[in-house]
Amino acid sequence: MDFELTEDQETIRKAVAGLLRDFDDRYWMEKDRDHEFPAEFYDAVARGGWLGLTIPEEYGGHGLGITEASLLLEEVARSGGGMNAASAIHLSIFGMHPVVVHGSEELKRRTLPRIANGDLHVCFGVTEPGAGLDTTSITTYARRDGDHYVVNGRKVWISKALESEKILLLTRTAKVGEVAKRTDGMTLFLTDLDRAHVDIRPIPKMGRNAVTSNELFIDELRVPVEDRVGEEGQGFRYLLDGLNPERMLIAAEALGIGRVALDKAVRYGKERVVFDRPIGMNQGVQFPLADSLARLDAAELVLRKATWLYDHGRPCGREANTAKYLCADAGFTAADRALQTHGGMGYSEEYHVARYFREARLMRIAPISQEMILNYLGSHVLGLPRSY
Amino acid sequence: METKEFVLVRDLLRSFAARFRVGSADDVKPSAGAAAQEALGELGLGELRRSTPPAATVQECALLAEEHGGLPLPTSLLGTVLLAPELLRLLGAPAAPGGTPTIALARDLRFPDASPSPLVAWDSEGADEALCVHPDGTVTAVGLGQAAPSVDLLRAIRTAGPARRVVGRLTLAGQRHWQAYALVVVAAELMGAARSFVGQSVAYARERSQYGRPVGSFQAVQHLLADATVQVEACASATRYAAWCLDHESPERALVAARVAKAEVNRSAVEAVYAGMQVFGGIAQTWEHVAHLYLRKVRVGATVLATTADLLTALAEPEPAAVAVVEAVR
Repeated sequence: MDFELTEDQETIRKAVAGLLRDFDDRYWMEKDRDHEFPAEFYDAVARGGWLGLTIPEEYGGHGLGITEASLLLEEVARSGGGMNAASAIHLSIFGMHPVVVHGSEELKRRTLPRIANGDLHVCFGVTEPGAGLDTTSITTYARRDGDHYVVNGRKVWISKALESEKILLLTRTAKVGEVAKRTDGMTLFLTDLDRAHVDIRPIPKMGRNAVTSNELFIDELRVPVEDRVGEEGQGFRYLLDGLNPERMLIAAEALGIGRVALDKAVRYGKERVVFDRPIGMNQGVQFPLADSLARLDAAELVLRKATWLYDHGRPCGREANTAKYLCADAGFTAADRALQTHGGMGYSEEYHVARYFREARLMRIAPISQEMILNYLGSHVLGLPRSY
Repeated sequence: METKEFVLVRDLLRSFAARFRVGSADDVKPSAGAAAQEALGELGLGELRRSTPPAATVQECALLAEEHGGLPLPTSLLGTVLLAPELLRLLGAPAAPGGTPTIALARDLRFPDASPSPLVAWDSEGADEALCVHPDGTVTAVGLGQAAPSVDLLRAIRTAGPARRVVGRLTLAGQRHWQAYALVVVAAELMGAARSFVGQSVAYARERSQYGRPVGSFQAVQHLLADATVQVEACASATRYAAWCLDHESPERALVAARVAKAEVNRSAVEAVYAGMQVFGGIAQTWEHVAHLYLRKVRVGATVLATTADLLTALAEPEPAAVAVVEAVR
């Protein structure tokens, strides 16, 4: 067994941490407060060449693996940027995986280099008001019309749609009743978010306010056939390839938030004096923080195993799901304890842990709820009967 | 009962408990159990629920059950003193001819269901027959077989023989009252055990010294015990409210409250005992120490009559009253 990061991985980690020093907690607090996209941060990451980390070299990227991508996003979250920072670049880092694997050469040439250099912002359009995790129940429909498709429907919880030029859009090209399997008849597009046909409304929400989460009303959106990813009707299958990496990256982000929250709590525990001694001297303060350290460390190990398996082409469903489950819990618990350690100050935005708390809560829901992870482990790993 | 009168009864039980408590698992012997049960019988508590209206309220009975759970006693207060007499009272049946009944449960210690699986006589110290409430409300008396092994070393259980006779039949309301009452007194005894054990661990934390000071001075130990105390209080509140409901509310309402109480006790009493054992450290892992007697009682107790899964499933069902309203609207 080898627990060392490679030299390249260590370099990535250090370089990213260095790059992010310019974007301190105040920067993120203000972006979050003002609901403003962190354009300066995004540009710096793009200039550093990090957006194309996993995009193949022939399309302007570095062709690195999920391990490197998870290290990057963990550092980004850990820098204090949390989910505001991670979500600003998350989709560019790995979201285009279905395009890389299944897209036409022309589509890849047209989009991937622009994603890698940061010029092209993309978002991911899968979930709908009537279909959250139950993806095959989506009803957004793409009707073939000559060399175009015409799309109508609604999407919800589409991160960064307001800031994006294109959307990776999952549609139905055959209704559920018309196909043998529910997973058939779904088609994926990477296409322009034409504002004349897509009304984008941000959803007021609890945290991660520098990056919007949106509701999309799609009305007669014309999509050229060239924007279709792969074959018609195969969209669901293409998405499946990306689900495990998605879970690992979210796990890495949760881990990063947990780490920064714990760092802040430890620092405050040493500095803040009550009853003539630092509060970190109290077991009631110290033990929960020590417990969080242990939980974050354990969650990190499962995450490293999961990304290692994926990068070696091995099955990783069990580990990817477990990593997201444990990292989301450990990250949120650490943020909660950091807030508790800060007492009343934790509730003020000035100490930043309230922001981490709001953001860390998200990963127990997205991209998949903790309960659905247990469903996966229960039925796919333990072999128990499917419960839903 | 007048308060003064009840205090006398409780003190009577308290002195009995102090006298007959077992010091360790090695003291749990059949002869000791029989002697203690005889002494308990002499207190005459079996009459508390035999008359109508009963001499003692359910709340008072629950307090006695709690008292009995507080110390390791090999006696059957629940089965022979509180449960079986109440069942006979509900049926308007005369005392069993020359006998002392306890109650019969399914072999997994839950309320008997419709399956023809064998029964056991539960809490059978001093009993010579057991009353079984069947799902249709029929109550039969069954004879007792040999002693059956039990993880709870303080609780006598015997195999049950075939039905001897039909004692009577409970109405639907009677069945609900019976189930609620049984859940409440069992929950009360388990809560009493948890409360007492947590109290003992608090005392230990005061006297046990490490690094030159009592372990109870460490916050981690204090917080553990404070949490356990909260858990015990949650059990107490839920159980006492359910007992109050049995005295003042409809059987439907009381059954809901009793299920809530037992569900709370099933989880929290066990957690509280775990916490107490953690505070005792290694000493609580020894055979001589009473810790395992308490642990056995609450662990097994959490499965007696109804498991948490049974209770939560039942609680998730619409309340009969709510169903009636919905049906009326339709």
